[in-house]
Amino acid sequence: MQSDTVDTSCHAAIAEAVRTEARRILSDGTVTAVIGYAASRRKGSTQPIVITSVDDADKLIFSAACVNNLAVYLTKAKKDVPRSGRIGVVVKSCDLKALVGLMGEAQLKREDLYLIGIPCTGVLGSVLQPAALLTTASIASKCCECTDRLPPGCDFVPSVQLPQQPRLEQRYTDEIARLEAMSPAERWEYWKEQFSKCIKCYACRQVCPFCFCEQCLCDRNRPQMVEQTPRPAGNTAWHLVRAMHLAGRCAGCAECERVCPMDIPLNLLNRKMARELKELFNSEAGFEVRDKGPLNSYQDDDDQSFIR
Amino acid sequence: MHSEKQKHDFEPKIIAFVCTWCTYAGADLAGTSRMQYPANVRVLKFPCTGRIDPVFILKAFQQGADGVLVSGCHPGDCHYIAGNFHARRRFAAFRKLLEFIGVDLNRLQFSWVSAAEGGKWVEVVTDLTERVRAMGEMVEFKDLALEEQWSGSLNTPELQEAYDAI
Repeated sequence: MQSDTVDTSCHAAIAEAVRTEARRILSDGTVTAVIGYAASRRKGSTQPIVITSVDDADKLIFSAACVNNLAVYLTKAKKDVPRSGRIGVVVKSCDLKALVGLMGEAQLKREDLYLIGIPCTGVLGSVLQPAALLTTASIASKCCECTDRLPPGCDFVPSVQLPQQPRLEQRYTDEIARLEAMSPAERWEYWKEQFSKCIKCYACRQVCPFCFCEQCLCDRNRPQMVEQTPRPAGNTAWHLVRAMHLAGRCAGCAECERVCPMDIPLNLLNRKMARELKELFNSEAGFEVRDKGPLNSYQDDDDQSFIR
Repeated sequence: MHSEKQKHDFEPKIIAFVCTWCTYAGADLAGTSRMQYPANVRVLKFPCTGRIDPVFILKAFQQGADGVLVSGCHPGDCHYIAGNFHARRRFAAFRKLLEFIGVDLNRLQFSWVSAAEGGKWVEVVTDLTERVRAMGEMVEFKDLALEEQWSGSLNTPELQEAYDAI
């Protein structure tokens, strides 16, 4: 397939606006820190940064290589860090969905955050070539099916004109359809192969904003529910449990898939579950804070055709 | 009382996760009423179907179950008001996940059996046992559990390419 270039000319203006806004909110005391992206050592690569002084605001950048979901810096291990005030955070719309989900689960409060939204043209699928041109081939799969290019409800969004996006292939939809067309035995073979690659590094868990349990079920050994060794049985159980725990919550930021060193298509599972839950309970992750997710609420007339 | 003993080549192992208030009492009723049902079912008692985690089912399959039954109170009869409603949603989602992974859903049954329905318990257990017997042994999860080593292939073209690029 011929790959078209995605217009990223607005990135410079976005970066400039983010810097200006960071400078403003840090100097007038609106926030005590801003979490954003800074240039990393390799050409074109980026890394998350937390800045607390106005002088550091110049370090903030935005480019197609800013793939990280910064929502993860606001949960779990950071629970013990005393909050000194509001925190500014740079979010793309997929990251914002994660933050909104966390607010719904009472992990964060909206008033503690200052959201700097990014009008997003998509990010790179691989961080191995951070300086690569953003094209319809190199764009992240999650961006291909993203319909929310402007994050709503943010405190600040740079006003830039978003360019027309070239037509993108729906990779997850296609892949799910391909798997669904297979026989159960073929699907089992496919996933067995995928899961057998897992080395149990738990990077998918560490990077996921929704995996904030203080003690993970999979780290418990009394009783041990999920085998901890990187053997096929434990791997399969681990990924099924994770998909189940994220069902109805996953924001689709695809960080799990990005960080997986063994290239297991983890977001495929999450997308599939999100679709099923939408179909079953008409519920999906969005930009509105929900008190109850689909799996911790119920309706009397839920479908029970599968129950005898 | 006299019943024909039958010999089969394959006796399926059925694990039943049941709620203590309805299905367990229902199974008890079946027993005290001297109803006959296959001895293949191992009953595990839980406070409520809402307590039954999908990992229990995975664990059961890994440990050699050929079929799993989850059974609790009818909607509206839950001792904890809404436990079975939550379970219903959870298992509706879990079924979809298992299906996507490639597990035959005929091995997994959910049912509502109240404390008064000894007959229904017998029916459900007999049905599931016969169905699983016809399907044969569940080998997928057992095979996984038997594979001792990490089985990822180390010599894929992608990895070789990445290695060469270092």
